[in-house]
Amino acid sequence: MDRREELIRIFSKDIRTILRQVPVDFDQVQEIRLRVRTPLLMICNNREYYLTQEGQLSVQADSAHVVTLRELQETLEYAGSYSLYAYEEELKQGFITIQGGHRVGVSGKVITDAGRIRGMKYISFINVRVSHQIRGCADRIVPFLYKNRELMHTMIVSAPCRGKTTLLRDIIRQVSDGSDSRPGMTVGVVDERSELASCYQGQPQNDLGIRTDVLDSCPKAQGMMMLIRAMSPRVIAVDEIGGREDVEAVEYVMNCGCKVIATVHGTSIEDLRRKPVLGRMVGEHWFERYIVLGSRGHIGEVEGIFDSRGFLLGEAERKEHAG
Amino acid sequence: MPAEGMVLLLRFWGSALMIVGCGGCGLWLSSRYRKRLDELEQLRQMIFLLKGQIIYANATLQEAFGAVGGRTEGPFGELFTRTSERLAEQPAAGFSEIWREEVQRTDADGPLKEADRQALASLGEHLGFLDREMQERNLLLYLEQLDLTLEQLRLHRQERCRLYSSLGVLSGLFLAILLA
Repeated sequence: MDRREELIRIFSKDIRTILRQVPVDFDQVQEIRLRVRTPLLMICNNREYYLTQEGQLSVQADSAHVVTLRELQETLEYAGSYSLYAYEEELKQGFITIQGGHRVGVSGKVITDAGRIRGMKYISFINVRVSHQIRGCADRIVPFLYKNRELMHTMIVSAPCRGKTTLLRDIIRQVSDGSDSRPGMTVGVVDERSELASCYQGQPQNDLGIRTDVLDSCPKAQGMMMLIRAMSPRVIAVDEIGGREDVEAVEYVMNCGCKVIATVHGTSIEDLRRKPVLGRMVGEHWFERYIVLGSRGHIGEVEGIFDSRGFLLGEAERKEHAG
Repeated sequence: MPAEGMVLLLRFWGSALMIVGCGGCGLWLSSRYRKRLDELEQLRQMIFLLKGQIIYANATLQEAFGAVGGRTEGPFGELFTRTSERLAEQPAAGFSEIWREEVQRTDADGPLKEADRQALASLGEHLGFLDREMQERNLLLYLEQLDLTLEQLRLHRQERCRLYSSLGVLSGLFLAILLA
């Protein structure tokens, strides 16, 4: 089954018919948004379009297909493989990850019990974020991450939806596989949201390299400890750290002599410095490299690569490190 | 041989065949009764396995049906495997619809009664809905119904099987006497 069909089949019957006629390459599609009683939207090449009943992209809202509640419920049933109960924990976080690593975000009425989220009902908004594996997108960055053929602790700083997971995935693959100038390293990946490896029934759908072990759907902090004990990795990679327990686990991993590659939500190193939990990591120079992605411009655009003290690295350093 | 003797011989063989035929029908009914009991017992075991997959392994319906179907032979093993395969294809149809269709396709000439088939089909109406606790309750409710049916079948097994066999032979005898 091709990638397009893999994605289309999570939608309701009518929306499938529309999407099958859309004249765009699904590699360019970033999001598909369904909101009850509002037009069906597709975000493609950073532009938002309405989808018409005939499967055409339009900028006119009045010609758009209007999503019904039944279509939304049907889509949710298919996206959850007819088994939303199996995604209870993920739904508490507001999204589920489906085959292919695509993320289905949901929103509706949250059910709480003594201040804790128990689940969600009346789901009326769905956002399908299309996962993209772009092999080679880290080619220009990876040389900066090594010094004397040794990998350095690296953090990718980016605002949401700016391509940090895609970049991390390619860095993991390149670190794991190695190259003529860099030996391959055993990488342990804690994939809490199944976005990096996109495991389906335990098997990674994305290429994370030949020396990579994946702990799927596991809370990050516990997962890092488990990998250290069980798989003796030389590098640990995690996506979206932020909580106090994540930071403690990162410290533990670093103290064990493992290298860490992580991503974090933020716009700059200064922004991280101001955050109470993450600020400590920056202040104490835990990470030796920061890759900051631009919050404007095209997705994945690298604003700069900085050292532990926040100094911008240039071409000279790249050559020096690569050598 | 005189014609009268020939007629007698034919009558004898005709009566014998009738008795054997009717007796065979009785035995067939009796064996269907036993097979129905066996199949429902197997189904009960499979529903337990399904419950384990859903509750403890947090498997989706597709994974759970596939895992249980793969471990079991016979019409229900095929039913579970087929259901899993159809769910994997994600056709534009709800689970209850897929399940009902597959149950109707299963062993239509087999020993199960229409009521058994209906009860099994209705199991799919609420599966997949709400949380894991709800799945467990649905499966337990169905298991309860199944247990009641099995209890009745076990209770009457001896007398029914004996009744079918005896009635078969006796009806054969009765017809033989009537036509002789």
